[in-house]
Amino acid sequence: MNARAPASYSVDFGLLLLLAVLVAALIFAGSSLRPYDSPELDPRPELLPVYLLLSLTRLGVTLAISVLLAIPTGYLAAKSAFARRLILPTLDIFQSVPIVGFFPVAVWGFVRLFGGSAIGVELAAVFLIFTSMFWNLAFGVYESLITVPEELRMAADQFGLRGSLRWAHLILPAVVPSLLYNSLVSWANGWFFLIASEIIAVGPARYTLPGLGSYLAQAVTAGHNDLTMLALAVLLATTVAMHLLLWGPLSTWAERFHLEETGDRPRRPRIARLLGRSRLVRSATLRIVTPAAQQALRVSSRVLDFLGRHASGSAVAFFGLAVPALAGYGGWRLYVLFAARPLSPELKGIPVDLLLSFLRVIVGVVVSAAVSVPLANWIVRRVRWRSAALAVIQILASIPATAFFPLVVILLTWGLGMNAGAVLLALTTMFWYVLFNVVGAGSAIPKETQEAAFAFGLRGRRYVWRVFLPAVLPSLVTGCITAWGAGWNALILCEYLEAGRRVHEVRGIGATLDRATYRSGDMQVVAASLASMVLLIIFVNRLFWDPLYQRVAARYKMEA
Amino acid sequence: MPASAPVSAESPAALLRLEGVEQFYGEKIRILGPIDLEVREGEFLSLVGPSGCGKSTLLRIVAGVLRPTAGRVLVGGRPLKGVNTRAAMVFQSFALFPWLTVVDNVAVGLEARALPLRERLKKAQKYIDLVGLSGYERAFPRELSRGMKQLVGLARALAVEPELLCMDEPFSALDVLTARTIRDLVLDLWKSPEVTTKSILLVTHSIEEAVAMSDRVVVLKANPGRIADEVDLRDLPRPRRPDLPAVRETVDRMYALLA
Repeated sequence: MNARAPASYSVDFGLLLLLAVLVAALIFAGSSLRPYDSPELDPRPELLPVYLLLSLTRLGVTLAISVLLAIPTGYLAAKSAFARRLILPTLDIFQSVPIVGFFPVAVWGFVRLFGGSAIGVELAAVFLIFTSMFWNLAFGVYESLITVPEELRMAADQFGLRGSLRWAHLILPAVVPSLLYNSLVSWANGWFFLIASEIIAVGPARYTLPGLGSYLAQAVTAGHNDLTMLALAVLLATTVAMHLLLWGPLSTWAERFHLEETGDRPRRPRIARLLGRSRLVRSATLRIVTPAAQQALRVSSRVLDFLGRHASGSAVAFFGLAVPALAGYGGWRLYVLFAARPLSPELKGIPVDLLLSFLRVIVGVVVSAAVSVPLANWIVRRVRWRSAALAVIQILASIPATAFFPLVVILLTWGLGMNAGAVLLALTTMFWYVLFNVVGAGSAIPKETQEAAFAFGLRGRRYVWRVFLPAVLPSLVTGCITAWGAGWNALILCEYLEAGRRVHEVRGIGATLDRATYRSGDMQVVAASLASMVLLIIFVNRLFWDPLYQRVAARYKMEA
Repeated sequence: MPASAPVSAESPAALLRLEGVEQFYGEKIRILGPIDLEVREGEFLSLVGPSGCGKSTLLRIVAGVLRPTAGRVLVGGRPLKGVNTRAAMVFQSFALFPWLTVVDNVAVGLEARALPLRERLKKAQKYIDLVGLSGYERAFPRELSRGMKQLVGLARALAVEPELLCMDEPFSALDVLTARTIRDLVLDLWKSPEVTTKSILLVTHSIEEAVAMSDRVVVLKANPGRIADEVDLRDLPRPRRPDLPAVRETVDRMYALLA
């Protein structure tokens, strides 16, 4: 590539120091952690870095697994029409279903499988976080593969790019931007779920995974405001640091994989240039990383090509056999659950619960949309502020909504109603999806369109109604659909809060579910509330959101 | 080369032959064929025709990236299976890998042919120099103008040293002046001893372009794509400036054929 910067021993030294600190922290952590099934986490603040490290590891491992599985899934869906018909609806349903609600069932399974050992609880957490990270990644891979220009694919065919070469020069580069963008989204989702999944309770049993999430949750529950604020500060600092040290540089690096026709030379991230000056990194790259990556690519491309050739078969295996088998097993359990015992009286309240929660989610969607459109118009129009504003939004969005809980709890103690509190909490997850999408679409409004609008005197509110809103409408709907899905997840956590030894709750399906899960352990109520919620969501998606999106996209897509 | 050679009674050896080639869209809709066509050794053959006549489809069948629904493609007398490794293709929208530098783009076909790195770079450099892009080896496609991008596409195709160069509307995304410069370069390279390419198959919708470059022009008509006519231009002297009376007359004759 470019001329190399001279090697520098200070970079080597810094790296070694960092490594030493990490090892020391892990040793310290290993000796001072309490066992997993102990009811409480050690609350000493000096353990916070260790908890943070553990949480980050959990998230990192899960993200790696999600990315590694998303690539073949998206690839298969893009490759074979038959696989596509099985994979896409499955992804669609899982993406829109409130997975938080399934936590107890999943945990119960994993913990039983591993006899309540630490590994079982860890696996349960990884699985739960995975369910929040995987779907959008797989969708992203599929979408970027089907949008590879036809001539580029043909060029790869014509010049004989097959097997690992095709993966290295065509498929992987084409999916990098979407994998990265979706990793950011997944990472934020992962935090949200991590905090929910590090403290796992099923009926009487309670497991605590040491981590930042459990620390935060415990501090909130116990009403330690100082510890809560401390943990929140660590979380915020981590989010900012992740942006500066990882996501930012990765985005810079990923510029070269964009399909745009003209533009500046792709940049090399500053941190990569710095690391490139270390002798250790250089020789490790040359001797270990590059050969290992090539070997891995060779092996995995062989596997993936095999899967691709037998795309229908493997899709049948995964989605045609595994999913129905699970569904059948689940159905049988349900039958046993409802037929073997008399029906719980609480079941009668479920329709009203569902309606109340539904109204809350709708209020959340409407508020998100109503605030996002003018705000996005304001951000987009100020070119000088735009990138700074986007960076701030990105950081705010990647703060897990669970982290806002303590703030809302403080508002609650000041007399805010729990009804408003639950909606407010749900909004902290829902709002960003809408704002993100609208700002993205707003920035893509052609300059000529804007100039034409101003030339004809469309300004202020009239500009928003006549130009901005129609231009962003498809993205606004996309954002609302995502927010609608996220809202249900959030409500499960928001309608029922334990804070400062007090329970704040408001009537709704989330509260009913939580009460059944954590207090009464009534599996009938758990199953019935989950099923009714899933059915309602799928029903509304099919009858309202899908047709709405089709119509809006057909009418308002920006095309020349 | 045989650009202005006299017409001989027997045609030179066929580099490639299409026999009864047909292409269907779905089960019923025939978009192309049946077509019989020969690409002879050393000739510059153009396919012209209205849009939708399947000329690009035909080119893709020749390059082996598209399997015809019926009929067969013979390369050097043997039926073609898979990609035609004796051909290389230049694309209308360039189809460069945006994440690879110029030199890596040019070397991509050589990498697929498992040439060692050193030879790959040497050969890529040779063709980069031949198309006049020396100094741009480390640039990324997005930094280049459209004309330069197409030069990279040309170098990439020539670098695999094909017998047949397939060009799919290679000049239609370029401005008029750039197109003319690259057209002249292609003709020069075709005759140059440095380049192994024996024959060129050009798909274009521009009659002027076909007349300016070809030994032979095959005119296609649409719905389904069939061969309507064939014009031998070996007698038309080169270089063919567009204002020469003979060239103008030929162009007019071809317009009449297409009308």
